[in-house]
Amino acid sequence: MKRLSKNRPLRAKLLGIDVMSVLMQKLFAFLKRDFLEEASYKYSFIASFFGIFLSSATFFFISKLISPNSSSVLAPYGGDYFSFVIIGIAFSGLLAIFQERLPAIIRQAQVTGTLEAILVSRTSIPVILFGSSLYYFLYSIASTVFHLILAVVVFGMQVEKINWLGAVLTFLLTALCFLSIGILSACFILVYKKGNPFSWIYGSVSGLLGGVFFPIKVLPVWIKWISYILPITYSLEGLRKSIIVTSPFSEILPNIIALSVFAVVFFPLSIYLFRLALKKAKKDGTLTHY
Amino acid sequence: MAVLEAGVFGYEKADRKMNAIEVKNVTKVYPAIKGYKELLLHPFQRKGTTALRGVDLEVRPGQCFCLMGPNGAGKTTLIKILSTLVLPDEGKAFIKGHDLEKETDEVKKHIGFALAEERSFYWRLTGLQNLDFFAALNNIPLSKRRKKIQEVIDLVGLEKAAGRRFNTYSTGMRQMMAIARALLTDPDILFVDEPTRSLDPVAAQNIRTFLRKEMVENHGKTVFWATHDLSEAAEFAHTIAIIAEGQIKAEGSVRSLTGQGSFPLKEVYEKAVKEPAPESKAFGN
Repeated sequence: MKRLSKNRPLRAKLLGIDVMSVLMQKLFAFLKRDFLEEASYKYSFIASFFGIFLSSATFFFISKLISPNSSSVLAPYGGDYFSFVIIGIAFSGLLAIFQERLPAIIRQAQVTGTLEAILVSRTSIPVILFGSSLYYFLYSIASTVFHLILAVVVFGMQVEKINWLGAVLTFLLTALCFLSIGILSACFILVYKKGNPFSWIYGSVSGLLGGVFFPIKVLPVWIKWISYILPITYSLEGLRKSIIVTSPFSEILPNIIALSVFAVVFFPLSIYLFRLALKKAKKDGTLTHY
Repeated sequence: MAVLEAGVFGYEKADRKMNAIEVKNVTKVYPAIKGYKELLLHPFQRKGTTALRGVDLEVRPGQCFCLMGPNGAGKTTLIKILSTLVLPDEGKAFIKGHDLEKETDEVKKHIGFALAEERSFYWRLTGLQNLDFFAALNNIPLSKRRKKIQEVIDLVGLEKAAGRRFNTYSTGMRQMMAIARALLTDPDILFVDEPTRSLDPVAAQNIRTFLRKEMVENHGKTVFWATHDLSEAAEFAHTIAIIAEGQIKAEGSVRSLTGQGSFPLKEVYEKAVKEPAPESKAFGN
């Protein structure tokens, strides 16, 4: 007769040394799940990289209309519009991924019923949220790097000496800020199922006023203040200074501080609100309603 | 006085631990979905549908407990409350003495839930990949995971299908896979929600035998089984509770419910289900 083995030693281990290892294994499990699922849609996987090539090519030809150093507002970024816009679209993709993918994952889990199966497991809410975003985070890094390599190798974007410390810190803080926005969107989906306002309001406003396609200096004064309350403004500013013009760290620091403030406020707040949203869904019995 | 109170509390706690499951006066009212007109005219008015009304239950360890009732009786709501997926509006519930709302993490160590929803798996992943994912989420370390997954797969008899994509499984195999997932943590209590629904008679009988013989008799687990199949409950349950309109209408062994076999279970069931429920205690309805 087959018998089930007991997991008692595991319980003892969990009290001490193996917590980190278990956490890493959980995150890896999420990563593996999402990779296997995404990779099973082979054409979509390949098409997404082809899309990057097309958008890079589009902006390369648009940038031909703006001769280098012709615009004073582009001067702080080296004067080249193509370099400016490639950083904008490559990194704003990160926002789109967190803002759209995380709520989409929660919604899909609601529709299929996997959300209940995950919530019954012994995994905490922050780990579920972070784990569910991990694949898309790494995917966005890969696509951003692909964007930049394509821009440099195929379209001749000028990159001198990258300020790696500034670039990496800005990128990580950017990811944390965008993840928080994604979690806020997921809260809305958890409770109201559809019609996520964070996604379209925040996404559209960030695209228009966050300095993705043009420097915020060109905006009228009466609207420019909105740019300063958007994390993406500081992200792109910090990344452009780190990658295109290789500014010293002291020049990138104000952006890093601003992003840190956003992250410290929004990340715990988003986790707290997600717990509240989950409690409401459990109270209303609507965890798997759609 | 202080000694007396401590003694009483101590007794209650010890008694609760003797029960695998204890439900005390649990009521659940789901908020009703409002139409646009109602939303505009009475935005703050609370209305709801009562799913459970003051439910009391006790399930002893090692029992096969069948919660029997018609569709919409409140079976799934009660199972979801006991699995920490839905919060009750009133009352308390305990799993092995642990309060469901206050000691959720402790409760999760003792329960396994085989969801009735067969789509609760990742269809483009294989059975093994699905189990590997859920094993990781349940703190089973990598070093022991393969062995554990193989164990539960062998137990439910899906050795040959485990490497296939989940979307190629039959309904019976999916149900078995749901049970396998619930067994990954070797829980003391297994919740199964209509496990034989939409299965052919042979597959249904396999699941029933597996739950009663393998889980309860061989492994000493407590199985909390929701069903609307009378013969299933009569053949496999130690204890049956009949639930209708959110209330437990009758409870006991098959022999006690049928007056030592004096009248058929069907008659008891129909009588219990038809018994009118009192007015809702909670809002709405």
